[in-house]
Amino acid sequence: MANTAPLLTARGVSKAFFGNPVLRDVSIALLPGRVHALLGENGAGKSTLINMLSGALRPDGGTIEVDGKAVSHMTPPEARQAGIAVVQQELSLTANLSIAENIGLGAYPRRFGLVDYAELASRAREACALVGLHEPLSTPVGELSLGRRQMVEIAKALYRKPRVLILDEPTSSLSATETRILTDLLERLRSEGTAILYISHRLNEVMALCQHVTVLKDGSVTSDQPLEGTDAAGLVRLMVGRDPGDLFPKWQPSPSTAAAVSVRGFSAGLMRDVDLDIRTGEVLGIGGLVGQGQEDLLLGLYGAIPAKAASAMVNGNQALPSGVPKANALGLAYVPADRKREGLHLIHPIITNLMLPAFARLPALKPRNRGNERELAHSLATQLGIKGDLGRAAQALSGGNQQKVALAKWMPHEPLVLLLNDPTRGVDVETKREIYIMLRQLAQAGKAVVLMSSDTPELVHLCDRVAVVREGRVAAMLEHGALSEEAIVAAAVAADKPKVAA
Amino acid sequence: MSPKARIMTVLGSRPFLTLLVVAAVWIVASFATRGFGAFGHLRYLVELAAVIGLVAAGQTFVVIAGGIDLSVAAIVTVAAVGLPLVSSSADPTGLSAILLVLTMTTAIGLVNGLGVAYLRVHPMIMTLAMATFLQGLLIIIAGGSAVSLQNPLVGWLGNARPLGIPAGVVLWIALAAIVLFVMHATPFGARIFAIGANPRAAELSGVPVPATTIAIYGVSGLTAGLAGVLVLGMNGQGYVGIGDPYLLASIAAVVLGGTSILGGLGTYAGTIPGSILLVTITALITVVNASPGWRSILFGSLILGLLLLSGREAARR
Repeated sequence: MANTAPLLTARGVSKAFFGNPVLRDVSIALLPGRVHALLGENGAGKSTLINMLSGALRPDGGTIEVDGKAVSHMTPPEARQAGIAVVQQELSLTANLSIAENIGLGAYPRRFGLVDYAELASRAREACALVGLHEPLSTPVGELSLGRRQMVEIAKALYRKPRVLILDEPTSSLSATETRILTDLLERLRSEGTAILYISHRLNEVMALCQHVTVLKDGSVTSDQPLEGTDAAGLVRLMVGRDPGDLFPKWQPSPSTAAAVSVRGFSAGLMRDVDLDIRTGEVLGIGGLVGQGQEDLLLGLYGAIPAKAASAMVNGNQALPSGVPKANALGLAYVPADRKREGLHLIHPIITNLMLPAFARLPALKPRNRGNERELAHSLATQLGIKGDLGRAAQALSGGNQQKVALAKWMPHEPLVLLLNDPTRGVDVETKREIYIMLRQLAQAGKAVVLMSSDTPELVHLCDRVAVVREGRVAAMLEHGALSEEAIVAAAVAADKPKVAA
Repeated sequence: MSPKARIMTVLGSRPFLTLLVVAAVWIVASFATRGFGAFGHLRYLVELAAVIGLVAAGQTFVVIAGGIDLSVAAIVTVAAVGLPLVSSSADPTGLSAILLVLTMTTAIGLVNGLGVAYLRVHPMIMTLAMATFLQGLLIIIAGGSAVSLQNPLVGWLGNARPLGIPAGVVLWIALAAIVLFVMHATPFGARIFAIGANPRAAELSGVPVPATTIAIYGVSGLTAGLAGVLVLGMNGQGYVGIGDPYLLASIAAVVLGGTSILGGLGTYAGTIPGSILLVTITALITVVNASPGWRSILFGSLILGLLLLSGREAARR
């Protein structure tokens, strides 16, 4: 496969936004039959580079070449015509349209000027089969879990039969099984001669899948080399620019075992009849395949969706919280997985985002003290290492910093129970590490931390216990000693085996 | 932020720009039209703007919270027609009737809020249905005839000029101070912005979304009721349809002032010059000697044009 001409090349491209250089003299060549990894921390310029490769942005300097020919002013439709498909990190699906309609959107087969639905269905089915989507094609995408939506997004890219496939963190919301399907698929596409650019924060995936790596740091290429002979630690070193140390802090047994939350016969959303104790001083992991009801468990405990329980004790209170304000009053806090839609007010300043839980519980008409607000926000920002002017809109922050804001806003209220929904999704390695350290410190300080995660290594290394959820029930409760990625995955899929075997 | 940067922010802000537009229109119109720039005339414009300003106060809250109140015109009419009906000679000041009417209009707003918050009816549908309901009720109660005012306090509000300033404008200034305080200096105000920008994130942050929503529509009912009382005082009599001009005007004033119709961003400080700008446009159209039909067409087109110029928003979500 060596010595084949690159299908898509960026040569010395630069880009600046509002005078801030985001990319400086970056070159990358995508060869057919090769999976090329693009690594870098959040804000390193990965998304900008992708946008230029797919025609969404025009480089300030340098050239984009398709099949060795420089194309100036490539537009997204022209890029699609050239066989370049992108699976964006921000899902671009329309919730009200069906799976088939989403997959074909913008490229519907026509017949007599009308959409040929039969043809669309058969071609969409083909694309779905590739990614293992078995849901009826007429299902509205809005009814699918995040992981399944991601698979639709990938099917959408495949529908166009691309020669160059760019994937921006495709696995960040996928379960282990779905990730495996994707890995097999990419392997096959590669052998068929597709050029693949693969972006992920999960280094073991990169190690397993990719042959070549380009590392971006602060907008410049720091490394462009074959992956052979490099290990995961070496990659982290290239990304961070220094020795990574251990990603996870050292695990220590929890100091106390008092129950902060205790429910019996708890039901909410997909969760049915669950018994669960959450202890102070522990990090309790919630694992399992995506979409088994884990999120409903957190939201139910938080009073954000209707829930009932045979008996419940929440921080001394003998009932489930009736709503979010009540849950907050009982010392519960929740950090959602979808930062942009549920966690933050993107158009509002960072400082307002940080203060919102305070605004929610202060007396409604008590005059605000802006000086105190600024002081508190600054100390929170310093404490969590949130960079940048706090008066800017939260949408200006990188993903990792947004996540820190979503976490930081609860800190002044010292929640006893912290419910975290995939807090490290799409967060760079360095921020992940900071979050891990913080979670262990919180547990050490006697808080109960509930960590729902789709990232199995973090469940293994960070948690005191892991509840594996399957089909709305806690299928297994694994103690720290018994934790391993194999044990979690086994518990997550065990009951599925007889059914899936078909 | 340095003092200089802060001044620059204020100078570049939408409320200030709207104010500049008002000043520019006034200056140009004063040269172009005899009598336009006279103090008495300008004072009269501001007095007229006070009614829009009052209606638009509640509307600003509602729009910032991501909703819209299409029942304000009907509520203005309810207050203007209802007040003479509930005025009783037992209370010589007339205060009790005013309080009764304001309680009534606030209650109407609260019902709007209940529908939006708990029945999850879209604000447009809920408030439009409420407006239709109220109009029917008014026709049954008041019929086609105008009702005359016999209330000294309302008469004073509509006609008195303490220190040369119309009482209605004094009322507007006082209300504006309260509104700006609540909006920008209390947790309640911060919650409204949060709900407008992202209701789901606000809820998950512990903001009592239903209670806040209900309160906002209640405020809108209250300020529309106040406007109705003022317009009755200025007019001397109330009739069905007296509030009709204030629906489009209130929404236009809010948006002209730079408040995002999508919710989450804005300020009443912009709505104030927005209200004055609207009244000024109306006055200019009146100067143009046209039939009422053409005046209405001109007014509608001008508002649309202004909103296209100023209210266009970049896609942001």
